[in-house]
Amino acid sequence: MRWNKLGKIFDPTEHKLPNGCLEFAQSPQALVLANRVRVYFSTRSRDQVGKYLSHVAYVDFARNMREILDVAKHTVIELGGLGAFDEHGIFPMHVFDDGGRVLGFTTGFNRKVSVGVDSSIGLAISNDGGRTFQKHGTGPIMAASLHEPFLIADSFVMSIGGIYYMWYIFGTKWKSSSENEPPDRVYKIACATSVDAINWQRDGKQIVADRLGEDECQALPTVFRRNDLYHMYFCFRPCHGFRNGGNSYRLGYAYSHDSISWTRDDSKAGIDLSQDGWDSQMQCYPHVFACEDRVYMLYNGNEFGKSGFGLAELV
Amino acid sequence: MLQWEKLGKLFDPRDHKDHPWMREFAQSPSTLIFDDIIRVYFCSRPAPDEKGEYKSYIAFIDLDRKNPSRVLRICDKPVLELGGFGTFDEFGTNPVSVIRHENQIRAYYAGWTRCESVRFNAAIGIAISNNNGETFERIGEGPVLSYTPHEPYLLGSPRIRRFNDTWYLWYAGGKRWIKTASRTEPIIKLRLATSSDGLNWRRDGVDLIEDKLDEDECQAGADVVERAGRFHMFYSYRKSQDYKGKDGGYRIGYAVSDDLMNWKRNDELAGLGVSADGWDSEMANYGHLFSLDGETYMIYQGNEMGRTGIGLARLQNCPDWFKP
Repeated sequence: MRWNKLGKIFDPTEHKLPNGCLEFAQSPQALVLANRVRVYFSTRSRDQVGKYLSHVAYVDFARNMREILDVAKHTVIELGGLGAFDEHGIFPMHVFDDGGRVLGFTTGFNRKVSVGVDSSIGLAISNDGGRTFQKHGTGPIMAASLHEPFLIADSFVMSIGGIYYMWYIFGTKWKSSSENEPPDRVYKIACATSVDAINWQRDGKQIVADRLGEDECQALPTVFRRNDLYHMYFCFRPCHGFRNGGNSYRLGYAYSHDSISWTRDDSKAGIDLSQDGWDSQMQCYPHVFACEDRVYMLYNGNEFGKSGFGLAELV
Repeated sequence: MLQWEKLGKLFDPRDHKDHPWMREFAQSPSTLIFDDIIRVYFCSRPAPDEKGEYKSYIAFIDLDRKNPSRVLRICDKPVLELGGFGTFDEFGTNPVSVIRHENQIRAYYAGWTRCESVRFNAAIGIAISNNNGETFERIGEGPVLSYTPHEPYLLGSPRIRRFNDTWYLWYAGGKRWIKTASRTEPIIKLRLATSSDGLNWRRDGVDLIEDKLDEDECQAGADVVERAGRFHMFYSYRKSQDYKGKDGGYRIGYAVSDDLMNWKRNDELAGLGVSADGWDSEMANYGHLFSLDGETYMIYQGNEMGRTGIGLARLQNCPDWFKP
């Protein structure tokens, strides 16, 4: 794999965003439409107590990805009500073109007390081409389960032979680096399958090998098929001290012949930090899609995408 | 109407000072019958933390089978540790319901976690004992009954029973949260899950018992027995606010069913109300029925949602509709 970086293509501070959001355009996710590429992202407002709330918005690009056509000014999907799993933010929302409708797989956040948050995966459906989404129920389609005790998040869905495959992450532990530090989370990539996109079969098994040991955090898998192989990009980092510097997110890579068993080989990722600039300290939240016979990767750079996202093209 | 002879309070943790983790509350009693004893599991609490927040642990006492009012033993430590950071049962294991299965004992319990916008959340887990119920270990770090699109939060109050080859788990499901002047309150309704192995559950999220007080009535603690060819449910219901005293507090309700799904509510038949004075004068709730040596008993918690302990009643009459 070799990727040609096209630089940062969207800066949230240069646009008026819905829901009073000012900064962050995290985890870009593409929906390829007939006359545009709609890129969803999570941006942030602050609530009454000054804490962040992540909201979903989108920006439309021309199909050559060179020109911004429009930025959503409306609420794309509402946050949940009191006590709901997505009360305190949706980040990210993965979109899947399901024929006559668009499915939105949300990662909803709810704030907790001993640990900062928990998350679960919800389903929302758009019947207006992805402009707005209505939730399938108040609760999640994938929440904590017996062997996935918390932090279910980051779906990516693909249809293979009439079956929906979802790659996602689940939490394995919360762990403090020292007695006085709040606990940090550890999460791993897994796979679930479904015939209706609502009820999912899963077994709580990690599918991508650790490179940094058992406390490695793996997030946001994105999968595509090319040359008879399945390719997965994701981001990974150590458990502690990850907000800046050497422990920041990097992009990882794995491949598979059958979409089930994966071989990790980050050396083949073909993309790395830049010498300087917007993605020189961190690369995270990759999303790969194809448009007009080109394969693109959207991703975030420094500070988890506070100042936007960029694009690379597969050479 | 059933008539119960109240045998009085069995156990009040406040009378026992050497168990700081069991300082007050004896909630959600659930029994296992042994050769010589009746083991009663319940949920008890240490002193609250500096913010007034409680944790809750599962405990047991052993009663003399020949004289059930006599406590023979109080367990020394919780039978199940609380869960770790971020797990569904990090802050409490309450309520609990136990059942024998082959050589094991299974405890179905609600785990408590604490949230920022609402006070808490709950989901249902399973722990297993291989030593006659002295200690339990959870079968996984996560819950067995967790949230779904149509059961979005608060799954609690499990009551486990097995009829023929099917496992039945009655539980309380959160319908919505309401905000009162001082805090958030969940509205909970009785639901049913079924299973062939007690581990993998089917549920449809249907409310089983029609409301009597108002649409915000809260229902919990559904215990079901089979008698005279029908199924009889004893549950607890209360108002959604100001329920910690006599007026809005829990009462024991009753419903009957032929198929375990469709229930006819008739609270008057339960027959176990509050006393004129004493430990169960404001509340009688979370009743659990068991039959033993030709008698039928109900064990239940008293005032302040069981802060004052648990007591026992013995059935005095046995109308045709409730013949064993």
